[in-house]
Amino acid sequence: MIAQRAGTTALRRVAAAPSSVFKLAPLAMQTRTFQTDKLTPAEASALLAQQRLKRPVSPHLEIYDPKQTWFGGSAWQRITGASFSGALYASAVAYLAAPLVGWHLESASLVAAAAALPVAVKGGLKFLVAWPFVFHAINGVRHLAFDLGIGFTRATIIKTGWYFWGASIVGGLYLAFFM
Amino acid sequence: MASVARSSALLKQVAAKQSVAATGLRVAAFHTTSRKSLLPPLPQRIEGTVNDPVEVPPTSPSHGSYHWTFDRVVAAGLIPLTVAPFAAGSLNPTMDAILAATILIHSHTGFTNIVVDYVPSKRVPKARKLFTWGLNAATVLVGLALYEFETTDVGLTETIKRVWKA
Repeated sequence: MIAQRAGTTALRRVAAAPSSVFKLAPLAMQTRTFQTDKLTPAEASALLAQQRLKRPVSPHLEIYDPKQTWFGGSAWQRITGASFSGALYASAVAYLAAPLVGWHLESASLVAAAAALPVAVKGGLKFLVAWPFVFHAINGVRHLAFDLGIGFTRATIIKTGWYFWGASIVGGLYLAFFM
Repeated sequence: MASVARSSALLKQVAAKQSVAATGLRVAAFHTTSRKSLLPPLPQRIEGTVNDPVEVPPTSPSHGSYHWTFDRVVAAGLIPLTVAPFAAGSLNPTMDAILAATILIHSHTGFTNIVVDYVPSKRVPKARKLFTWGLNAATVLVGLALYEFETTDVGLTETIKRVWKA
């Protein structure tokens, strides 16, 4: 009995004393091994912002239907409108700068320059100007109808989109070669 | 003893956390699928705290639905103005000037929409200001040029007709 008590006392003493031999001593004493960190709200927000950057991004451009992303009416409405207005702005500024730089951009010079081009180039350039014009015009009417709520369902938008693409090409060809 | 076996796993975790914390990497990484960098998330900024509600934008008579309606009214007004030269063959100078002015206003509002969409003021405030004022200056210049063109030259529709039939 004395030997047993001596054994348990010895164990207790070993468990209580920090020792390099018996490394699991702290666990036998049920000490906490995890600590909570104290973060200020700013640090916590910064950590959240960092973590958000590491989250996986759902696939978007690589899986979406290219017929809708690349041929969508509103995207091309913007592209054609911006190219037309950009050309207008550029030529207007060039017209203002012409006397200072020595160019001739009056209507008579433009007509003469256009007349001197070969027929194929004339037709091609006219189509390049006519198609965006027709597309923007008829698609603009379509978008105004959308703004009134007419035909604003997904199926209708996709189907009529293709009709308007065809109509704009036909209209552009007509304006370029038959006007 | 079983408790000793469990505790050794716990000790390994403690050691691991301490070593990660020591290198300064505290953010956990996700690797469930391959990372594609198509349009990665932008630098994240948390304004206020995560518990603040979304701020309601301030009302403004010139930047709200009236602006949108004005855009559509100008666009709708352009339809008869554009059909007229095709129908009538040519336009008298006043109608031509009205067409040119309406096209200018339409271009300006269109470009403003593009700038608003692609140059957000929260992310690039200086670029947004630059583009907005640059656009205003360009519109004034183009207005001046169109005025000059209409008064000293034959006008927009007439020029297009002549160049087209050249």
